[in-house]
Amino acid sequence: MVLKKFLRNDPHARPLLILAACIVLLAVADWGEGRFLSATTPFSMLQIFANGGMVALGLGLSMMIREFDLSVVGIFAATGCVAVLTGEANPWLGIGYALAIGLAAGVIQGVIIVRFALGSVGVTLGGLLIFVGVAYVLTESRTVPYENLPVALFVNRPLAGIFSLRSLICVVVFAAAAVVVGFTRVGRDLIAIGSDRRAAVIVGVNVNAFIIGVFAFSGFCAALSGALLSYSLASATPQGLSDVIVPAAAGAILGGVSLGGGTGRPLGIATGVLILAALRSGLNALGAPPFVNDIAMGAVLLTVAILDGPYLMRRLGRIAPRPRAGS
Amino acid sequence: MEPGLLVPAGRGGLRVFLRNRLNVLMAVRVTVIIVLVAACLLTPGFLSEPNIMALLTTVSFIGCVAVGMTLITISGNIMSFCLGATAGATAMVFVVALNWGGIGVGLVAALSLAALLNAAQGLVIGWVRANPIIVSIATLALIYGVAQMFAGSSAVYARPGTGYEIFKGKIVGVPIEFVVFLCVAALGHFILSYTRLGRNLYMIGSSFRAAEAAGLKTWRSIAGAYLWAGIFTGLAGILLAIRYNLGNMDFGLGYDYDAVAAVLVGGTAIGGGQGSVLRTVAGAMVIAIVQALLLLLGFRQEWQYLFTGVIVLAVIILHTSGERR
Repeated sequence: MVLKKFLRNDPHARPLLILAACIVLLAVADWGEGRFLSATTPFSMLQIFANGGMVALGLGLSMMIREFDLSVVGIFAATGCVAVLTGEANPWLGIGYALAIGLAAGVIQGVIIVRFALGSVGVTLGGLLIFVGVAYVLTESRTVPYENLPVALFVNRPLAGIFSLRSLICVVVFAAAAVVVGFTRVGRDLIAIGSDRRAAVIVGVNVNAFIIGVFAFSGFCAALSGALLSYSLASATPQGLSDVIVPAAAGAILGGVSLGGGTGRPLGIATGVLILAALRSGLNALGAPPFVNDIAMGAVLLTVAILDGPYLMRRLGRIAPRPRAGS
Repeated sequence: MEPGLLVPAGRGGLRVFLRNRLNVLMAVRVTVIIVLVAACLLTPGFLSEPNIMALLTTVSFIGCVAVGMTLITISGNIMSFCLGATAGATAMVFVVALNWGGIGVGLVAALSLAALLNAAQGLVIGWVRANPIIVSIATLALIYGVAQMFAGSSAVYARPGTGYEIFKGKIVGVPIEFVVFLCVAALGHFILSYTRLGRNLYMIGSSFRAAEAAGLKTWRSIAGAYLWAGIFTGLAGILLAIRYNLGNMDFGLGYDYDAVAAVLVGGTAIGGGQGSVLRTVAGAMVIAIVQALLLLLGFRQEWQYLFTGVIVLAVIILHTSGERR
């Protein structure tokens, strides 16, 4: 009963609980052989965290204001290819192009959504297809190698034991987002827009600017992580749509963001992504075959989706009536 | 009130005509059709038999999935990310069951798998109102995981002589895939327009609360929509397996996006409650024709994605501007 209340009522505690449960489960499965609870696990966890963390952050913020930015997947792929193709000699140039494209894509989509009063799923689906197309056209459907290997090594070199440059950047972006959302008016305005857009307009929040801003930030995040990941893999490929959208959406949802809007925090999203990273690095460390990770991720996501179902309590109540609490 | 009605007719005729959004839409539609037909006639090789056959075959695979997606979209559940994976999984199960027990067993096993997979999602979505996008993404991960567990990342090949070859070839000169697609489209149209399930889906899509207030068992209709979507997608998977003599998870790659693009280009509203299967068929045809034209005009295949994206975005801006959700 207490556990259920905990699961239902506090969206900020739940991600931590799931993370703890995952780590305990993996440690028990390891059974003291030191494969999971070793010094290398935090590093590999943070590396996986950096792969898709920022994509989840952008997607999660768009979900917080009750939109859904599908295009992050396309921007992620396209900017990764752009960075590899233009950043051979000067990696900063590649990152710069990637970030400019990501920002511009976000702003353009945001302006279209605001200006024509459109739903974001349709618009960003168009954006997704366009950017996947851009990625395919630029690479001619091949995997493009990145010959500047020192950069690839530099991005992944361990810093301070558990970080690499890549994961450090990701952590910094998350921290910045957490500070802005948690301690400034921006955060409260975002929650207000997500909870009740009309009320937010009436109390004087510049909703349109926020929508454009969130989509710009989300494009920026997708571009940054796409470029960094391509550098660190020393290659870019236009494929792998579902490899990005599944963990990104799963991370945001596990982190306590609801698609209904109005809930969620950057730290929650970070925890959600960490859950997935812990699962993957833990299962890798235990030597489980790769499909176990897919199945575990799907099962966790499905469970959370059902627990988040607005009618769950009502349906359960019909089977076993009990006094209603809260709602 | 339509703004056009306030201005006396006859004065500034064209501008008044264009001020009405529906007129603009109609004008754009007619222009697009004229341009497409002209391009088809003028492009050398478009009307050749191999090109037409290839066009009809490709439109059929996507089309079957898109008809299923239409039911989901109209019911207000936006889109499913796992229809492509469903097609791939169905193709694999079809081939395995075909090798084991012949064509009949193959068809039954494959279709029931596809139906069950999606009906289960529909039940979860309808019964506890779980988020459709998240449920379909979770199922996508589960399907890929389970498929990898059983088959690795390899394909399963159909044994010759198990009787599936009779479904290859043509009926009165038309590829059999296209005949199946036409049947699927007719069935989908029948469900949406002439059955109680169809009317309920439109109602749920346009206003869920009104549907609840009217006493509909909304979860039943939503599960029904997903069930039929699964069956139609399963048919696409079986057709793919028959055509290529094998089953493979890669079959489904990108079909979800192509299918929802067809739905949207046809003009079905992403928010639900409006649209039809006929529109989706038209959308799928437009996309397929544009892609075939691009290939014939010497664009590499990669440009198809880009153009599809531009078309989708343009149609969405044209169609739904001013009527947010």
